[in-house]
Amino acid sequence: MRPVLVRLLLRLYPAHWKQRYGSEFSDLLQSEEVRLSTLTDVIRSAISEHLSPTVGATMNRQIDSFGVLVKRPSALLPLAMSLGALTVVVITATVFGINRQPDEGTPAHLWQLLMAGQLPMLLFFVIRWGPQAPRQTIYVLALQAAAFLLAAAPVFLLHL
Amino acid sequence: MRSTTSNVAAIEKDQYSDPPLLILASLANGPKHGHAMVEDIFLLCGTRLGPGTLYGAISRLEQQRLIEPLPPEERRQPYRITGEGVRVLRTRLNTLHQFSKAGLERLAML
Repeated sequence: MRPVLVRLLLRLYPAHWKQRYGSEFSDLLQSEEVRLSTLTDVIRSAISEHLSPTVGATMNRQIDSFGVLVKRPSALLPLAMSLGALTVVVITATVFGINRQPDEGTPAHLWQLLMAGQLPMLLFFVIRWGPQAPRQTIYVLALQAAAFLLAAAPVFLLHL
Repeated sequence: MRSTTSNVAAIEKDQYSDPPLLILASLANGPKHGHAMVEDIFLLCGTRLGPGTLYGAISRLEQQRLIEPLPPEERRQPYRITGEGVRVLRTRLNTLHQFSKAGLERLAML
């Protein structure tokens, strides 16, 4: 397999995986012939590594980093949902003013969904990463809590 | 991670497809790097593991501490089976042995 193709295939894998296995994996790929089955196998494996990343053993150093952990979907999604909820509040307050609405409209339901929907994800995040990287999990949780409070504060302070 | 469909396809092609078990069995007679494992597994049971499948299984086995890396040889990284890996391999092979024995006995009665 040509080095250009090997580099291209290697790009499909997460950074921490490449850091650990990249060199030896490239070596193996270069000794392989280019076949559709080989390409499919590598692509499927790369997708699998994104969906269910390898952690522990010699991968510990990479996972024990705030930067790596905060990029996990279960860490990013709650943050995005809090920011989404804050955006809903800001847009609603800008368009309708900060008067309390007599009826809970679509924006209120959307805000509630975004705020409540992230709680199962937070729970999953703690269960998934807490035992492996406790300190980093607490840092990410603190960031998520700050984002949650930021999205909740205007609603309670302005009695929306 | 291999799908049920690919397992069925492998069975139809008369190939045994359990990458972690194949790797453990390959390392049971001494340390090997990735390429040597692929060749050894092919000789062992006729299954040729793809590079993605091989390294997917290697990383999981290392994560579970069933295999461990040795000092690298140039760009190649040899692995060896751990004590826990030997225990897991023995248990799995015993189960398979009992299973195949019972299955063959049933076939003999047909």
